[in-house]
Amino acid sequence: MLRAFSTAATGMAAQQMMVDVIANNLANLNTTGFKRSQINFQDLIYVNMQEPGTEVASGITSPSGLEIGSGVRAASTIKVFTWGELQNTGRPLDIAITGDGFLQISMPDGTIRYTRDGSLQINGNGQLVTTTGYYLEPSISIPTDAASVDIGKDGGVNVTDPAGSVSVVGTLQLVRFPNPSGLSSEGDNLLAETEASGPPTTGTPGENGFGSIQTSFLEKSNVQMITELVNLITAQRAYETNSRAIKAGDDMLRTANQIA
Amino acid sequence: MADTITQVSSSIDALMQEFYVITHNLANASTVGYKRVANAFSRALEAQGAFADTYSPGTIELNSAFDFSQGGIVETGRPLDLALHGKGFFVVEAPEGPLYTRNGMFQTNRNGQIVTSDGRIVACEAGPITVPQDVGISELTVSGDGSVSSRGTALGKLRLVDFKENENKLLAVGASCFRMPDQDVVPAAAEHIVIKQGYQESSNVKIVDELVDMVMVSRLYEANMKLLSAQKEASSSIMGVAMG
Repeated sequence: MLRAFSTAATGMAAQQMMVDVIANNLANLNTTGFKRSQINFQDLIYVNMQEPGTEVASGITSPSGLEIGSGVRAASTIKVFTWGELQNTGRPLDIAITGDGFLQISMPDGTIRYTRDGSLQINGNGQLVTTTGYYLEPSISIPTDAASVDIGKDGGVNVTDPAGSVSVVGTLQLVRFPNPSGLSSEGDNLLAETEASGPPTTGTPGENGFGSIQTSFLEKSNVQMITELVNLITAQRAYETNSRAIKAGDDMLRTANQIA
Repeated sequence: MADTITQVSSSIDALMQEFYVITHNLANASTVGYKRVANAFSRALEAQGAFADTYSPGTIELNSAFDFSQGGIVETGRPLDLALHGKGFFVVEAPEGPLYTRNGMFQTNRNGQIVTSDGRIVACEAGPITVPQDVGISELTVSGDGSVSSRGTALGKLRLVDFKENENKLLAVGASCFRMPDQDVVPAAAEHIVIKQGYQESSNVKIVDELVDMVMVSRLYEANMKLLSAQKEASSSIMGVAMG
């Protein structure tokens, strides 16, 4: 009976984790550049009481065995890098990557992080930074007397000075990974390279399969509210069912105890 | 009398085992590609109950078989979520020999190879598929027969196999995988199967059916326990008479 309890408990734990993942997805429904996670469950090992095909009598083999499983575990959460909707903001420094690629952000400690959140700003030193104030990599300085800034589809940052002449002050670069789902989430819309993601490849927007840059747009989160809510109901009901199994096991144990 | 007790206790053992199977199915109600374990002991027992003369739970064979029926197909939109529709399995390369799975939630690893979420390489018709560095996962197209391509260039074809009538010999090893213990069984190439890209095959556990079975198991268990306690009382009163 203890086995039934622990099996049902793994089911409850798994469903609870699913609710946690859904809650985080829903909380980030309006987070720029957010990518939803999906959880992957796997069944746990089986206790093999009798292999299929064992001889039950001379010449007769059992058509199936007796395998008893021990529940479920959450194997991984996979970030889903489908594209979010683009939302027009009218702000020239808002950029969206239409296609594959991440912007590189340099952290104060010198490490590099990656993001698809393109709401850029200019800080007090005239440099392009994220909303949190981290520098883009490679860093791009905007002259203080610039009348307007325009970012091209290829990532070129064009500055118009008060006299009306246009000059290029830098180019945004994008990176991609062999396995983007392997990137680790670091909060602040930032992702970090891991052993699983593989090394980044750098490139120019619009070339070699990299997405191009769309200014005045932001990429919204790719969370679909209805899908998440449906999953939430499913998870809640499955949780309930597993708790029913524990209750039923408890009742059976009580019956046994009453006999003795 | 000892006979009845033996039969009742073997019946109780079987019911407990069925209960474990049901809890395992319920725990996997949300596991992608999971195939429910069917255990028909309580149903067989109930059917026998209709003919009281032949009631003999000890003679019902205890076994469990996987129910390989199709699970529901759920859209996710993720390019490497591959659902199988029809009979067959993906082949996964493992050090101890090939494993078979219907959980098609794949990823690419750091070398660009298509792997399961455990990092095991998904077998293809000719060597593992490596996604070139300049191709994003969103550009991968997987056609119904398992051919993987990107921007019109073929990268390879996923291997799909079918065990046909030997399917029930498969052993579950956990992590959504099965293995074939019988060395002589060679799987054939799957014929009646379609891969759907951007979908998952959900678990084929039907919660209501499992709950109904659970209620039946609990009740039969209770009934057997009652029988046991009636036997206990009968034997103690006989002993009382005999001992004076």
